[in-house]
Amino acid sequence: MPDSAPAPRPDFIRVENFSFHYGGSQALFNIDMAIPERRVTALIGPSGCGKSTLLRNMNRMNDLIDGVRHEGDIRLNGASLYDPSVEVISLRKRVGMVFQKYNPFAKSIYENVVFSLRVAGRSRKKELDETVERSLKAAALWDEVKDRLHESAFGLSGGQQQRLCIARAIANQPEILLMDEPCAALDPLATLKIEQLITKLSETYTIVIVTHNMEQATRCSHRTAFLYMGRLIEYGETVQIFEKPSHPETEAYITGRFS
Amino acid sequence: MHTPHILQDFDQAISALRGEVISMAGKARHNLERAVHSLLERNAELANAVIADDDEVDEHERRIDQLGMQILVRFHPMATDLRLVISSMKISMNLERISDHATSIAKRARKMSDSPELQEITLIEPLYTLADHLLRDAISAYTDHNATLGAALHARDKELDRQHKEANATFSARLEQNKGRSEDYLHLILVTRSLERVGDLAVNIGEDSVFLEAARDLRHESNRELG
Repeated sequence: MPDSAPAPRPDFIRVENFSFHYGGSQALFNIDMAIPERRVTALIGPSGCGKSTLLRNMNRMNDLIDGVRHEGDIRLNGASLYDPSVEVISLRKRVGMVFQKYNPFAKSIYENVVFSLRVAGRSRKKELDETVERSLKAAALWDEVKDRLHESAFGLSGGQQQRLCIARAIANQPEILLMDEPCAALDPLATLKIEQLITKLSETYTIVIVTHNMEQATRCSHRTAFLYMGRLIEYGETVQIFEKPSHPETEAYITGRFS
Repeated sequence: MHTPHILQDFDQAISALRGEVISMAGKARHNLERAVHSLLERNAELANAVIADDDEVDEHERRIDQLGMQILVRFHPMATDLRLVISSMKISMNLERISDHATSIAKRARKMSDSPELQEITLIEPLYTLADHLLRDAISAYTDHNATLGAALHARDKELDRQHKEANATFSARLEQNKGRSEDYLHLILVTRSLERVGDLAVNIGEDSVFLEAARDLRHESNRELG
């Protein structure tokens, strides 16, 4: 990072006393955490602990589910996500999302990357070409696909398809990338490529990643939050969490003694 | 932590590693005891046994390294488990060096066993007692997860250092005064040095035990007390 780059803001995303309910079932309880800018923050915990629910609230994807409600707030750079003036479409341009199962559209590699630009009515070829090259380079995929941009995305390997989805997510130059188990469907080598990419992308983007792979959290995150039964049990520097966790529940989970 | 791992093999591997360290510690301490006795009792046969048995301690060190590596590769330990593997491997290295010092003392005992007894050899015994108590408590700090005991060893080692200096001064003076026995006095100087080093190595084991239990690295800290 150049010396002139501003220091990352320590509370770029601020989750404030946030609770979330699916109908009568409460999934999150009074979560408070500050997620730093241009760092990778990992959310870990057993299945059903609420980590994906928390992640999906950061771009209001849970709004699509009937009967949900929340208390508290989530702020991006100081502004509430839930302010009535916030347009969800605009929000999702600022907060990109990558899912567990790579999900390219049934289109060419090129069209996958520029999809959101076309939806926004932007069709100037020069801009689209530049976006494709910039995004694919940032996703470490350009060298592998530059000679077949107009071939189907389905012809790519699983790891390449996931990197294409990352390229698609950053085509709009969001501020934040949310990743929900982005390597769960990939082989170990493809996983390492994505992890290397996550590290590189964190120079530009604020990344929040949900992972069940604790080695992955140790390798590529700066901070780690451990959630259990909808509560934030512990949140701190990744090295501290995995070397000397403060809470017995965290210790039990990361050492494989959880029952 | 008493809660078992979900993976039973992990528990068994951790238990095997701890057992190997405890067994190695017992042998290293026994070797030191027999080496000093062989010196004080002028028993060359006992000295030979100590020298031969050092191979067993070396073998323990190799097994501990193998077990530690296997746990790292198979189970990717975290937190307490990771610290147990690291501290066990470091403690085994210190125990191996303690057994080497026992061997060194036994070799000197064997060389001195044919010469007439030196009166000043009684100065060795209190030094050995101090070194042995430090070693005993260092091992207890590891086996009992007692960080307080482990952290206290550094201060206690200062008394051994002081007595080592005194004994060293006495043996050096005798060496000057009694040229005919200079070689034997030199042996005693080096035996006291070995015992002083055993104290240092026991302090290292105590600090490794603090790292295991409290995740604190006390090495090279001016104030080596648990906060």
